[in-house]
Amino acid sequence: MKNHSVVNNMIACHQCDSLLPMPYLLEGQNALCGCCGAMLFSKKKDAINRTIAVAIAGLLLFFPATLLPIIGIGAAGLYNDASLVDCITLLIDSRNYVLAFAVFMFTIAIPVVRLITALYITWCIKFQQIKPSLLVFFRSYHVLDTWTMLHVFFLGVIVSMYKLSSLADMTIDGGLFSLILLLLCSTLMSVTIDQHSIWHELEKSLEQ
Amino acid sequence: MSNKALAAGLGSCPKCHKLNVMHASRQVCSRCLTLFSARKPKSIEYTLAWTIAALVMFIPANIYPMMVFYTFGKPEASTILEGIAIFIQMGMLPVAVIIFIASFVVPLGKIIGLFTLMYNTKRKTQLTLKQQGQLYHIVEFLGPWSMLDVFVVTVMAAVVNLGFLSSIEPAVGITYFTLMVVFTIFAAESFDPRLLWDNHQKHNHQSLSEKTYKNTDVLHHDK
Ligand SMILES: [Zn+2]
Ligand SMILES: [Zn+2]
Repeated sequence: MKNHSVVNNMIACHQCDSLLPMPYLLEGQNALCGCCGAMLFSKKKDAINRTIAVAIAGLLLFFPATLLPIIGIGAAGLYNDASLVDCITLLIDSRNYVLAFAVFMFTIAIPVVRLITALYITWCIKFQQIKPSLLVFFRSYHVLDTWTMLHVFFLGVIVSMYKLSSLADMTIDGGLFSLILLLLCSTLMSVTIDQHSIWHELEKSLEQ
Repeated sequence: MSNKALAAGLGSCPKCHKLNVMHASRQVCSRCLTLFSARKPKSIEYTLAWTIAALVMFIPANIYPMMVFYTFGKPEASTILEGIAIFIQMGMLPVAVIIFIASFVVPLGKIIGLFTLMYNTKRKTQLTLKQQGQLYHIVEFLGPWSMLDVFVVTVMAAVVNLGFLSSIEPAVGITYFTLMVVFTIFAAESFDPRLLWDNHQKHNHQSLSEKTYKNTDVLHHDK
């Protein structure tokens, strides 16, 4: 089986298609393409445990981050505050359905599914319960990564705060802190999750 | 010239990056069972279609107002550029710059970048491969950041809701703007960067063979 050893011991750069020998990495190292410099993959330290921890923390934070009011304003004795869910219901009330759907998907649905996907896969690998359905789950992870926009939403909140502070009395609520922590977990997950090792693990276990 | 997987009859899976021996133009990855091709099929056609769709959406996104600001029941609508002008008038230059970059420079730059990349897969260009790779990275990275203004308007509309005193409502322009951002992300996703390297290799081969052809021509004439 000459072909078999080629596909297992080589890797092709996804940016320039150069065929390279599969590098052997130590924990914390990155493999870069020698031809174009794109990152091929990296080996993460204690990836499974860390990903489980970050994903659980992120999922727990989702409730306060979406339900608690983020910021509020007061003027002339009137007061109003809004949470992320309020933002979306308001968009539906004002019949901006496309916008409501987009905001819901990019800030709630996709980030949640992304955390659940990562948790489910790392959990199954940790406890040696690997089944073919995991392939379908993990295949979607890459797509979910592209469409997670919590970081942009957070910057949006910051810009709004700056804007509002000049218009009225602005208050910061618990939702903002939860949102910061959630963003931290969501970002950390891209750092802790080791996609290359997970694929390798799935392949090894399902072959047997 | 380095080895290319395509030339060796191999293809790497777009989802799990596993190397596969290609038996057909479209086949299932041996590791993750994704159906894939050695190159994204009709990559340029899809990228072009999404980019044009984004460009079309860019027009109403800038003509129609993004939000309407009601003070004491009096509506005041503002488009992207008008909103930025208001910021400058209020002396909030940093915010004006951020919004201008995120909602005007970045989307337009992305569309121009995508057209440049598509052109580079077909023709010989002045850009080096490294620059083309960087351009692709920038276009890919910038994708979600253009949504900034959409989120700002969303948050503002939800928070500034003090009845008759003052309130903000999102207007139709923002829907077009959201669609434009989504379309540019689809366009970047459809683009296959390996086509840039394929094109480079093809042109280098061509110019080499052209030179040898000319040389033999000269020899013939000499005879
Ligand atoms: Zn490369
Ligand atoms: Zn695969």
